[in-house]
Amino acid sequence: MIVLVFTIISLLLVVIQTSVCMLHPTWVAAPDLYYILLAYLAYRLPLMSSLVVLFFLGCFLDVFSGIILGMYALFCFSSFFLLRFIAQKMPVSESFYQVPLIGVSYLVMSWCAYVVTSFLVPGGLVEWVWWKMMLRTGLIVLCAYPLFWLLERIQYRLAKGIFSWKKFRVRTDNRYRA
Amino acid sequence: MRQQSTRKRSSRFRIFRLLFFAGLLMTLACIFLVSTLGSQKFGGLHKLILEAAGPVQKVVASGVNYLGSFKQEYLDVLAVGEENKRLWQELQESRALVHKSREAMATNARLRKLLAFKDSSDLPMVAATVIGKDPSMWFRSLIIDRGTSDGVFKGSPVTNSEGIVGQVLTASPHYSKVLLAIAPSSAIDVLLQKSRVRGILKGTGSQTYRLEYVLKTVEVEEGDVVVTAGYGGMFPTGLPVGVVSKVIRKRRGMFHEIEVRPSVDYKTLEYLFVLQRKEPVPQ
Repeated sequence: MIVLVFTIISLLLVVIQTSVCMLHPTWVAAPDLYYILLAYLAYRLPLMSSLVVLFFLGCFLDVFSGIILGMYALFCFSSFFLLRFIAQKMPVSESFYQVPLIGVSYLVMSWCAYVVTSFLVPGGLVEWVWWKMMLRTGLIVLCAYPLFWLLERIQYRLAKGIFSWKKFRVRTDNRYRA
Repeated sequence: MRQQSTRKRSSRFRIFRLLFFAGLLMTLACIFLVSTLGSQKFGGLHKLILEAAGPVQKVVASGVNYLGSFKQEYLDVLAVGEENKRLWQELQESRALVHKSREAMATNARLRKLLAFKDSSDLPMVAATVIGKDPSMWFRSLIIDRGTSDGVFKGSPVTNSEGIVGQVLTASPHYSKVLLAIAPSSAIDVLLQKSRVRGILKGTGSQTYRLEYVLKTVEVEEGDVVVTAGYGGMFPTGLPVGVVSKVIRKRRGMFHEIEVRPSVDYKTLEYLFVLQRKEPVPQ
């Protein structure tokens, strides 16, 4: 259930990013919401569930963005493992420290991906502009707190069960163990 | 005794005087009444009374009027809050209506322009709507709501009424991804309309193109119109692409460095045309 819900969330985030946040094709101030979800998966969800969601997230991104198929999948998996590794090694596991880390990892991973892609497809990418990347990073950090809160609420709700059938369970009057 | 008789006499005289004047007044009044009723004439006395009472009546009437208007104003003030609320609501509704009308007019104008373009062109084309934009910083592409079931295939040229927008990169039965002409990976065969010199138009990622492979021996000026060359069968000949905005002449190298301003405004892309094909272009 959690995999299905988070896969749908990932699709929704990509759709929102491509249709609502992007005012025109050269628009800069659109936060990469998928990366926040990716960070959430790395921090909060079990490995296997996260990998399945990431697989679909990579596919969605490859369909809606870019010209090199598989590039986003690779980017997502590498960023995920990097964040997971850091989260496990980091002595403190509070959101206060984790959220800025999302921004830093986004910047580092984007730069690595840009270098590799420009090596593979010379002249096929728009020029790297630092202020634009810094703006995007800032937007990710800004959006990370509310989105983390929302995703935590959803996960909490999922853990409790969407349909709480337990409420309707008929109980005997005996409250003591037999 | 003498004093008493004097008092009696003076009181009698007072009564007589009173009766005399009363009788006189009554007589005069009777004469006046009889004469007035008889002649029906607005006499001097009437005029005198009117002149004397007129100003008093005027003052009273204006006072009453003032009180009336004051009362009305007071009532208006009481009612004005309610009316203000109603008018504000009406104003909001009118503003929303005006906004809607403007939007409808703008859409109408855009669609008319597109329709005129479609009618003027004899190429088979299908209208498409932009439903998504590439969110990445490094690529420039769009998603449109037309696919292979509408005759849209990989390589199909995408235009609008202003000129070339790009070409279809991938297509599913009902949706396609369009590589914009401003994308760095895009390359279009073009001609300088005046000199008929050929070049390759490449995207820069921003709102300009770069025209490459135009020899320095060719005279190129700012304002020269750039159109599609039509070589290779990808794009039809003569579709507008842009206008030369800058020519950089360097000592070294064989070619000009030319900047082209797109004829298409990429910031306002909503509706597009895809030139239809019966089958995909062989790659």
